[in-house]
Amino acid sequence: MSVILECRSLTKKYGSTTALSDLNLSLERGRIVGLLGPNGSGKTTLIKLINGLLVPSSGTIKINGFEPGVESKKIVSYLPEKTYLPDWMKVSDAINFFKDFFADFDEKKAYEMLDHLHLDSSKRLKALSKGTKEKVQLILVMSRKADLYCLDEPIGGVDPAARDYILNTIITNYNENACVIISTHLIADIENVLDEVIFIKEGYLQLHASVDEIREKEGKSIDSLFREVFRC
Amino acid sequence: MQWELNTDKPVYLQLVEQIQAGIISGIYKPGDKLPSVRDLAIKATVSPNTMQRAMTELERDGLVYANRTSGRFITSDEELIGKLRKQYITQVIQEFLDKMDLLGVNLEETISYINMISDNNKK
Amino acid sequence: MLRKLLKHELYATGKYLLPIYGITLILSLVNRLVINVDIFNGALNFIPVFMMIAYVISIIASLFVTFIFMIVRFYKNLMSDEGYLMFTLPVKPTQLVNSKLITSIIWTIVSVITICLSLLLLIATPERLNDFKNALDEIFYVFKASFGKTYALVIIEFILMIISSLFQSILLIYVSIAVGHLFNGHRVLGSFVAYFVISTAVQILITLLLLIVASISGSNIETMEAIPHMVFPFSIIVSLLLSTAYYSATSYIFSRKLNLE
Repeated sequence: MSVILECRSLTKKYGSTTALSDLNLSLERGRIVGLLGPNGSGKTTLIKLINGLLVPSSGTIKINGFEPGVESKKIVSYLPEKTYLPDWMKVSDAINFFKDFFADFDEKKAYEMLDHLHLDSSKRLKALSKGTKEKVQLILVMSRKADLYCLDEPIGGVDPAARDYILNTIITNYNENACVIISTHLIADIENVLDEVIFIKEGYLQLHASVDEIREKEGKSIDSLFREVFRC
Repeated sequence: MQWELNTDKPVYLQLVEQIQAGIISGIYKPGDKLPSVRDLAIKATVSPNTMQRAMTELERDGLVYANRTSGRFITSDEELIGKLRKQYITQVIQEFLDKMDLLGVNLEETISYINMISDNNKK
Repeated sequence: MLRKLLKHELYATGKYLLPIYGITLILSLVNRLVINVDIFNGALNFIPVFMMIAYVISIIASLFVTFIFMIVRFYKNLMSDEGYLMFTLPVKPTQLVNSKLITSIIWTIVSVITICLSLLLLIATPERLNDFKNALDEIFYVFKASFGKTYALVIIEFILMIISSLFQSILLIYVSIAVGHLFNGHRVLGSFVAYFVISTAVQILITLLLLIVASISGSNIETMEAIPHMVFPFSIIVSLLLSTAYYSATSYIFSRKLNLE
């Protein structure tokens, strides 16, 4: 197994507040990793650092050996919490955009997934509901054959059917050469899908272990353990 | 096959148990071809790695065998399945009896209850 | 990658701007017809007036909307949620700025050409074109008379000055938006504040610089023709220096200080 993400003493400060403290983390290809923590614990900060949307205050972050930059962005597929596609675009415009900028984008796969949802690609994004827009983004992101997928709160605020769709899409597109990071605070919904979990609390790494290991050792679910670690 | 996963046991063990149950109850017949790991993982909504691990466990026990080119199959070894069936039934009943014991119900009373309930079910 | 960025940038902006330019050209043709066929008497009199107003509005819109649209586009595409996509593309932040800058320059030039073309469509007749040509000749003549052999240089300097100040004013807006995004919360307000602070500071600097230059060189500007050769290059150099500074600051903020909401 080769390492895809390596963080060393990674720290991010905003002015006087520290969002991430001295984080050391190493993730391997082929794993589905849950990045877990309450809101404001530093999950999004870590994901933004991986994607070069923030610059570390100190420490290093390497994706397949590259610091965040053009080379890393070629192999990282990022689903932010935001709906980042411009409203005026048709679904097909968005597909062309991804096709042009990402060499690993599989156009055929994207259209297949759209068909599966009975989504007409000539529709404008403006005309789609928020939930559908999020699905289109997920399809675009998962249609890339990336080495690292960063999904920031993909199941936050969606109904159970949509959640199943999202999880199915993630599993369907799984490949052993890629690592998938899923950040969420809704652990019970996705813990069976995860191979590993990372707990972050107030900017500190609390735990990084395999799910089965935790269940075997602690005899409890990740969700119960989470409730213990983060008890208010 | 319906997958029901609870939360406190390792997921791969639960998958192993449920596939075993499927074999015993005949949902999976001897010699049947199993769906791919990915498809099974999607159905059960678990990580493909976990499903892979469950398959490895089942292969180790000889209940499932892999053919390099054509996929995975349920064993045709009826004797092995019979043994598994016996093991499984024993385990379920043992757990039940342990529970009854905890409730302070002795074996005789338990058996009389079983008879009563099965008579009612027949009617 | 810059080529791809430009392609998508032109596509995204052309969708809105080309129709406006098209309407301007069509309205100028319609107005020409309306002016020439004088059939609108009495109650129908409002039609030519209305068409003329529509035309004037469309001309103003071509210039003004182009300008505003370029600013809004820069802000929305890079600093709002869309920035999450743009800044995770495998391109350098400078390439993002370049694509926006080049696109803005292209549309500014296209909008000016559109307006010239539409005026031609509105009023051009062979005699008028001839008059126009004569007027141009006369201007050249006056130029030659005042600046002697260097008149061509003056014209080139003049054009360079306009282009460099165009770059400077666009980049000033970019750097203001980039600085504004560093303010938490009030980012749009922050951009306006940054714009006024930077432009005021630059004004003061230039005035000081001019005073110093004037006091050193004294009043030895003897001939009329020398003035443009001093003012234009000075203005070009200042614009280029400022453009470089704004550009570097914008790129620096985007690559080292980025913090999208």
